[in-house]
Amino acid sequence: MINLDFGAVLQGQYLDWLIGGAFTSLGLFATSWICAFALAVIIVALRALDFAPLEWVIAAYVNYHRNVPGLVQIFVWYFGVPELLPSSITGFINEHNGEFIFALIALFLNAAAYMSEDLRSGLRSVATTQMEAARALGLSYVQTMRDVLLPQAIRVSVAPLVNQSLSLFKSTSLAMAIGVAEMTYSSRQIENETYRTFETFAIASIFYLVMSWTIMAVGAYYNRHLQVKER
Amino acid sequence: MNLKFISKRHLAMLVAVVTCTFSVAAYADRLADIKARGTLICATLTSSEPVGFVDPATRQVVGYDVDMCAAMAKEMGLKLEQKGVSVEARIPELTLGRVDLVIAALGWTKERAQQIDFSSIHYQIPIKLIAHTESGFTKIDDLSTKRISANKGSTPELYARRMFPKATVLTFQDSPSAFLALAQNKVQALAMSQTSGVRFVNESNGKYKFLDGILAFEPTGMGVKKDEPALLAAVNGALERLEKSGQNDAIWNKWFGVGTKYNIPREKKLTPISAFQ
Repeated sequence: MINLDFGAVLQGQYLDWLIGGAFTSLGLFATSWICAFALAVIIVALRALDFAPLEWVIAAYVNYHRNVPGLVQIFVWYFGVPELLPSSITGFINEHNGEFIFALIALFLNAAAYMSEDLRSGLRSVATTQMEAARALGLSYVQTMRDVLLPQAIRVSVAPLVNQSLSLFKSTSLAMAIGVAEMTYSSRQIENETYRTFETFAIASIFYLVMSWTIMAVGAYYNRHLQVKER
Repeated sequence: MNLKFISKRHLAMLVAVVTCTFSVAAYADRLADIKARGTLICATLTSSEPVGFVDPATRQVVGYDVDMCAAMAKEMGLKLEQKGVSVEARIPELTLGRVDLVIAALGWTKERAQQIDFSSIHYQIPIKLIAHTESGFTKIDDLSTKRISANKGSTPELYARRMFPKATVLTFQDSPSAFLALAQNKVQALAMSQTSGVRFVNESNGKYKFLDGILAFEPTGMGVKKDEPALLAAVNGALERLEKSGQNDAIWNKWFGVGTKYNIPREKKLTPISAFQ
């Protein structure tokens, strides 16, 4: 008979690990999401310029991130890239929580590639005549993108962007492979010490579920209240 | 099956029979079963040199633990039936009753001892720190506030945290990743049992070294199912006789001793489990 004892896991040092893991997961998600979204917007704007060489570079970037497993990308950044950097920089990063920094870089570059594709499809749903009309009114390219086209593109892209955000949130658990003490890492550590497998992973699952629902709720709220209404 | 024909009395009988079967199974003496069977089912690892690994020439699983299995079976007057297990399955295989005895580099920890019973501790492996030879570190205390890598969920991780609470202990999925972190200076030292670490030190042509001093001696014993006092006593008795006759030393020296690539003398003799609890 299984006897469940959540108290054994939710106490003292183990509780500290869980809380620390939760904060690390959320911190990693929030920072990489902001960086990813900003980069995705920039990528989409550059892509819309129709400048062939730039287009190739961006396409290569997107394809790399879409076709190589996320875990491999994290390893490339953590174990591969430092080999190419001067040792002074590597040393500095190693001293300042290098695991978190490299995991963050790998995650946000990956998410930006996906998000830029979502935004690009949103942008394609906005009529090209709007670009022409805005430019004819004397708006610059940047103004046109910022004030006319992107707001409409983002509105169309909310659903896939929420999907992407969920995906990014769950991908933060990959960072455990390079020693980032996020939720999954903490759970495994507690499970290793207490052998309370079910309780530990039940708590971790609840955390991931609640956070994913929160992300979905934020997406739904944005859709309903925050964005410009279509007339 | 037509349920109309099952009377209450039949049902009661069925329940009684089932309960009896289970209680008999629960209270049977495993040692008696083993003796009736005539074989000892002994589990070892199959891919960890030198405790249990496949000999490329003969395709047989050989190693220190395998020899210990054979010696134990002989000492208990039984035939040996050897079984391979994975690291994760060592404890479940015992609790599910699929094997009689686990000799698989099973380090003693308080948590594991709640799941299964341990025999007397038949050997203890030093857990050490490995660092760059040119790092200037000489003894383990030099690392007390530095960064140390270890294998996730391993005892070296546990002892490194315990010994150096001010140090940062980074853990990785496997030994090669933990070693790579040291190679790239992401950490200043790697915590590992001497038996596993020998490979990295020996193959580095002097680039890495073991630091002086040990984090801990990892007590290793044999595992039996919990609440089988007769079997546990028989295992411990056999171990004591092997210790007296010098076989424990002989098997150790064959695989780990001075002159092998591990070069670890057997400093700690057979120790009763009470010394650790």
